[in-house]
Amino acid sequence: MLAHCTDDRKTPECSTKSMDPVEYTLRKRLPRKLPKRRNDVYINMKTDFKAQLARCQKLLDGGAGHKEICIHGLGLAINRAINIALQLQAFSQGALQLAANTSTVELVDDLEPEDPDEAGEPLTRTRNNSAIHIKVFYPNA
Amino acid sequence: MSGMSFSSREPSTCSTSVPKTHHSVTTMDGSLNTCSAKPAPAGFRRVSSTGEPSSCPVPGLGPGVLEMRVKEGSKIRNLLGFAMSRLQGGGHVSPVSQVMFTGTGRAITKTITCAEIMKRHIRGLHQVSKLQYRTVREVWQSREDESIQMTVVKKVPAIYIFLSKEPLDPLELGYQSPAEMSSSSEENTSGAATESSRKRHCSPCSYETVQLSKIKRSTQEHTATAYNY
Repeated sequence: MLAHCTDDRKTPECSTKSMDPVEYTLRKRLPRKLPKRRNDVYINMKTDFKAQLARCQKLLDGGAGHKEICIHGLGLAINRAINIALQLQAFSQGALQLAANTSTVELVDDLEPEDPDEAGEPLTRTRNNSAIHIKVFYPNA
Repeated sequence: MSGMSFSSREPSTCSTSVPKTHHSVTTMDGSLNTCSAKPAPAGFRRVSSTGEPSSCPVPGLGPGVLEMRVKEGSKIRNLLGFAMSRLQGGGHVSPVSQVMFTGTGRAITKTITCAEIMKRHIRGLHQVSKLQYRTVREVWQSREDESIQMTVVKKVPAIYIFLSKEPLDPLELGYQSPAEMSSSSEENTSGAATESSRKRHCSPCSYETVQLSKIKRSTQEHTATAYNY
């Protein structure tokens, strides 16, 4: 059973950004943890594409298959989410339908001063990123 | 579903011909096989790239629709400057009330960003988003020998984001109403029961921002906060 796919690119990583006079360490904060139903799939760039596709397929198939699943993608994972949704639709030979919604997600970065003695304050910077939410469902006959 | 092969990369579903014969044409068969061929054949340069014009999937269009084709290298500032001026009415031309952003492949993210920024500047825009595959036909020519050509036909994902000042059909797949939404809220055309659980407000997010910038924190605290997610 695969672990929950979390949003990508938001694990805290240390990368120095040398644009301020005081050197800062950039730490990307994870986006807010969103409530997740059983048929919610969050796509990231780390997990194998085939594995994510198989997971979505399994959610739709089977005896306990859901009537619809919702695929979410943030930033670079938008492309992958769209690909997965279109592949699912192609495999179903037209039985599935897609509904796509877009949104903007606010992301917060923490900037910490490199040197603890430096006079820099830990800053936070917010930026926006695009997200897509694709509903894949069997239309009611 | 037999004969499917996947690579871990994006399935742009291309198939290229290996032998460098004169004017060889490679076409896709019906199945969506993804190949692991490198995107640019060595020693070739792309001569022409013609997209098969796919029918506009959004029904109920008005007569004048501004179509904005977003490419990978497009500058968002230029795109939005033009679209805004057209939507709000330039000096010499009558204002358009509907605009459609289209993008394929790597430009999809930029397309979505353009549409989102436009929705933020101009309130009350109805949105319909559509996804589909689009076939693109590229002709590659060898650098050394000009006569050797290769035609590649591939399917790339495409997105069509239709923004309109006039109300659109709410039952349309991919419809989003122009209500005030900030972060990660979802409109469901069916299944309204889940809608309340999915609406999120931005206020906690901005509250966190204000709080953190005031207090001087240690590194451990930051790590702990981040890992709590």
